[in-house]
Amino acid sequence: MSELALRYRRKSARHEIELSAPKGGVTRLHVPDEDAKAHLVTAMLKARCEPGEELELFGEAASTLAPAGRARLRAKVGAVSPIVGLVANLNAWENIALPAAYHGRPTLEQVAELARAVLGAFGADAAAFFARLPEELGVLERKLASFVRSLVAAPQLMIFDALEDGLSRAECLHTARFEAEYRARAPQGTLVYVDTREEA
Amino acid sequence: MLQALREIEGGIQLSLNVAVRAPRLAVPPIFESFLRQVYFTGVTAATGVVLRACLLGVIIIAVLMDMLDADVDLAVKILLLLVFRELGPLAAAAVVILRTGTAVSAEMAMMRISGQTRALRYLGIDLYDYLVLPRVAGVMLATAVLTFYVQFLAVLGGLALSPFIIEATFTELAGRLFELFTPVDFYYSVIKSLLFGYAVAACCCWHGLNPPDLTQNAVPKVVTRAVMQSAMLVLLINAVFAYVVFGILFFGLVKANV
Repeated sequence: MSELALRYRRKSARHEIELSAPKGGVTRLHVPDEDAKAHLVTAMLKARCEPGEELELFGEAASTLAPAGRARLRAKVGAVSPIVGLVANLNAWENIALPAAYHGRPTLEQVAELARAVLGAFGADAAAFFARLPEELGVLERKLASFVRSLVAAPQLMIFDALEDGLSRAECLHTARFEAEYRARAPQGTLVYVDTREEA
Repeated sequence: MLQALREIEGGIQLSLNVAVRAPRLAVPPIFESFLRQVYFTGVTAATGVVLRACLLGVIIIAVLMDMLDADVDLAVKILLLLVFRELGPLAAAAVVILRTGTAVSAEMAMMRISGQTRALRYLGIDLYDYLVLPRVAGVMLATAVLTFYVQFLAVLGGLALSPFIIEATFTELAGRLFELFTPVDFYYSVIKSLLFGYAVAACCCWHGLNPPDLTQNAVPKVVTRAVMQSAMLVLLINAVFAYVVFGILFFGLVKANV
């Protein structure tokens, strides 16, 4: 049996959910409703579970971890999710660079290089993209900025939360590139798609 | 009652957090946010207050000198004690509350309601570090500078008008003003304006980060509460300063020397 990057269990009055994702793989997790999705994504991002939830990340049970241990696990998780949106009064570059500038790593030059490479792969003009505020970006562009910001932290577990929500058919064709870009930069990384809908 | 206690506790907690984190101002994005706050609170307000500050000095001089039948000494004392020490800092604080207090509280409340504060936390960014500290420090510095600017303009306005009301020249009045002016006047204003800035910023940040609910309707409620309480705090601080300087210190043990 392969090692798990994620194991999650939640018992509520309406549902009982049990999900897992193998380390290094791509997993599509389907949850019954938005509330369950928000709980799942929040638990992964916080590396903390609420009563009725059980969460294991990279083999470590979140409930038994001290704050330092949780912070260490949180650093391994990145997400493109409405829960981790962009800051409205910062332009795209400031949003992308903010965590790196705050934590002091990686350097802003490295962030700029990574951002230009990813935006280039999506066919975006980096200079024009960087200067725009979130309200001036389209839905796909906001997800792209959020994705680049997550990539900067080199997460071992990347969550794509409802990645296709709000996108046009044409834009949905680009979403496969998110996976390819993540895989190119983290060959051993785990990718988890979370959605409320069943696949057609 | 419970709400009031919660607000006092929150204010104390916020103050301690800001004090402990002061060295974090050197971190680049926090320092940038601090500079941005100084710019919006101080620099952008500067042009708007020129006429108001001048008129403040003019009105006080015009009314009081006529009422009190003032001579040069009294005119200068009015300018120094009333306009420079009291009304200048209060006028600057009013400008800061109306421009910055409303903006900070509304911005913070919007960030909280739209989940941007939650996003910052998930990115490992401390809200006190990134949102509160630069705003509080920035507003404090900008309020001190703005106060000095308003005081200068108000006194200048008063000095310019006085020769039309009493028999004294502008240079005579200005010379007497510099004779009476002591460093205490300057320190008094600086300390008071820093406290004003601190009270306004801390109060507005606290209310912005603690809206009564997480709907759009909470924003006007937050702004109203933040502005009302900021004004109350400023008046309270001013009353304490007035008592300390013009009253008797430490239950009569030390007599203030005015």
